[in-house]
Amino acid sequence: MRRLLPVVTALAAGLARALAIVAVAFFLCRVMPGDVVDVLGLEGGLTDAQQAELRAALGLDRPVIAQFVDWGAQALGGDFGRSVRFDRPVAEMLVHAAPVTLELALGSFGVGIGLAFGLAIAATSLRSRVLDAVIDALNVWSIAVPTFCAGVVGIIVFSLWLGWLPVIGSLVLPILIIGLDNAGQIVKLVREDLAEAVMLPHVRTARAKGLSPWRIALVHVLPVAAPIALVLSGLVLSGLVAGTLTMEILFGLPGIGSLMLNAVHGRDLPVVLAAVTVVAVALVAINTLVDALHRLIDPRVTR
Amino acid sequence: MPRSSLSLSRRGLLASAAGLGVAALAGRSGFAATPTAGGVLRYATLGLDTSDPHRHTGSIAVQQCYVEALTSIAADGSVEPFLAERFTVSPDGRNYRFELRPGVTFHNGDPLTAADVVANIERVKSKVKGGWLASAMKLVDGAAADGPNVVTLSLSKPYAPLLNLFSELWILSPKSDGWAETIKTPIGTGPFTFGTWVPKVKLTAPAYRNYWRSGEPHLSAIEFDLGDGTDKALALRAGDLHVANVERDTVEALVASGKVDIKALKDTAWFSIAFNNRKPRPPFDDPRVRSAIALAVDKAAIMKFVGGAEGVVTNQLVAPGNVYFDQALHDADPFAKPDLAKAKALLAEARVKPEDHTIEFVSWVGPYPQIVVQMVRKLGFKVNHVALDDIGAQKRLGQYDWDMNAMSSGPRADLFLRWVRLMTDGPNPVLWGGIQDAELDRTITAAVEEPDLARRKAIYLDATRRVAEKVYFVVLGHAPDLVAVAKTVQGYEPGFTWACHWASGGVARAALVAA
Repeated sequence: MRRLLPVVTALAAGLARALAIVAVAFFLCRVMPGDVVDVLGLEGGLTDAQQAELRAALGLDRPVIAQFVDWGAQALGGDFGRSVRFDRPVAEMLVHAAPVTLELALGSFGVGIGLAFGLAIAATSLRSRVLDAVIDALNVWSIAVPTFCAGVVGIIVFSLWLGWLPVIGSLVLPILIIGLDNAGQIVKLVREDLAEAVMLPHVRTARAKGLSPWRIALVHVLPVAAPIALVLSGLVLSGLVAGTLTMEILFGLPGIGSLMLNAVHGRDLPVVLAAVTVVAVALVAINTLVDALHRLIDPRVTR
Repeated sequence: MPRSSLSLSRRGLLASAAGLGVAALAGRSGFAATPTAGGVLRYATLGLDTSDPHRHTGSIAVQQCYVEALTSIAADGSVEPFLAERFTVSPDGRNYRFELRPGVTFHNGDPLTAADVVANIERVKSKVKGGWLASAMKLVDGAAADGPNVVTLSLSKPYAPLLNLFSELWILSPKSDGWAETIKTPIGTGPFTFGTWVPKVKLTAPAYRNYWRSGEPHLSAIEFDLGDGTDKALALRAGDLHVANVERDTVEALVASGKVDIKALKDTAWFSIAFNNRKPRPPFDDPRVRSAIALAVDKAAIMKFVGGAEGVVTNQLVAPGNVYFDQALHDADPFAKPDLAKAKALLAEARVKPEDHTIEFVSWVGPYPQIVVQMVRKLGFKVNHVALDDIGAQKRLGQYDWDMNAMSSGPRADLFLRWVRLMTDGPNPVLWGGIQDAELDRTITAAVEEPDLARRKAIYLDATRRVAEKVYFVVLGHAPDLVAVAKTVQGYEPGFTWACHWASGGVARAALVAA
């Protein structure tokens, strides 16, 4: 119970943050000039009177707070409503988009974490200056090169010059690009943490016993670095929200980011809110899970 | 930039259109040999916002492949028979008779009948609010089936654009899912069927093997890319797309890649600066001040910027070469060249000190309005330029709390669809400042009701003069929209509008060949 209470508290705080995110998104959408009726009006050439009639029918002429409360009540019941623009259930659109984003996010996460830890462990075990230089280069790359630019360069090289990958719909390049970026963001921290861990007495003892460098790294050093690894993994996952959005647009991937952007352009509020809600709840879930796991594997956090 | 592939003067366009016609008469245009069967054409121009064709009335480029109309617009802008094999109009322009093409079937196998066509006309008349067809439908007194293959239509008064507008009155099977409200799965007669649609992502349209024109379509399917963010130029170069609209600044790299040909729509987009005509505030309600501002704008420079060598400076809603274009009026354009001295004299005459006034200027996000703003600033006016996205700009324009804008509008099936936006109760008039002028309304209405082309042209020219006299807006010029077509595509040439399929051309005749 002593360990569970802070997790529940963190979960409640996270949900409150998610609600705040959705509320801010809702009101920002209303601050934007134009609404979905304007879009339908432009596409269908509706007169002012017809637009007013449609706005009333959709409840868009009601106070903003009332609209938000109504939408929130429906959403809590699992009903995200219908896309006004495309006249189809929002849930159906999310079901189409979510797997793409999930695949991209998990793939990038796997590449990022795998590369960062692989390099850091190898550099620690082998005490290799070359690997340290690679780690520095990767770190500088992630700071200096925006993923969007890397994406364009990747398209030019792998799609136009080499012709290996398509521009539209390819997951390989975006996963590699975001993965590299993620790895660059954390690899140096992991490396430094591991470097400190190898100086610990039990690791020194292991070395004195003549264990192999890889066994020392994996069995004696890595568990010490697990908490920081977990925290960094959480950061990477949270950062994927922005990373996947740009890659989805650049590579024409029909994920939640593309769905959200198109909905913003079309002022399709139910879709925007549903997408924001999914992302916000996912962030809360990630953070809460990381927090819980952190407490589980590192008792110092609970103290 | 290789000019050979981009020499798109109006004469060139007309010559190309004529060439297309000759090729069409000779057989199937664009094929050196028998077209290859099969293959999926990947196509990305404009989007698809609804599965109900009757409710879609903007600039559209997708649905023509699965739904067809009684008429269509040929590459030269003329009306040609489509599902109607023949049509006649009574001398008074009030009675129409359409003879349906035999052997046409819907995608569910049902034959097309006159009763189906009448049902579609009735549906549009009763269900569709607003749009280009709404005003025409109000004039329809009666639509009736005269036997299984003839449809008659009577209007309460003549309406000249009807045949052109009927190119967008899509004929669907009344058995289409959602017919009573919003059609979910349209059953049309086109060369492709409405397959799988994921909004803003893609539409897969498989070929309809019982299409009424023997031997077509050649392709096995079309995959429409409906995403907004895709870099189409890169996708074309990588071979991911076969047909896509492209921006002018990407043309050079595309041509250099050797993988695509750059072609142009046969109708043009027109560019204008407009003033707030619904709630104008002093001194921008004064035609002398408006004229002074127009004289500060270098139309040739703007049109070269937006249209390159294909940009045409004029003062009319149609470009040179169009049947409604008038050379004398064009030659008399007072704003053809900038004249700052004359502009300043006009301001002095109106007793306006430009430095005392701030122009509230609204535009879409883009470079050319910024150039217009810089030109206007030369007169000494302060300019508060607000650049917004499409919806944001049009919403702001609808508030009529601004003074001036710089906008453009794309190809249309009929000239009336440009003029209707300038009428008091016209759809979406904000781009041209919400003109409210009963005299102009009467003139446009008279043009619409005039069955004779020569007399109609003369009346439209009167309307043009009225706009010029009041300086409601100033036409800067015209430029064609560009479409890149992969060299592996044969038999496809862009048409008059964004339509992907029409009676004498389009995707039904396209085929893919090996690279």
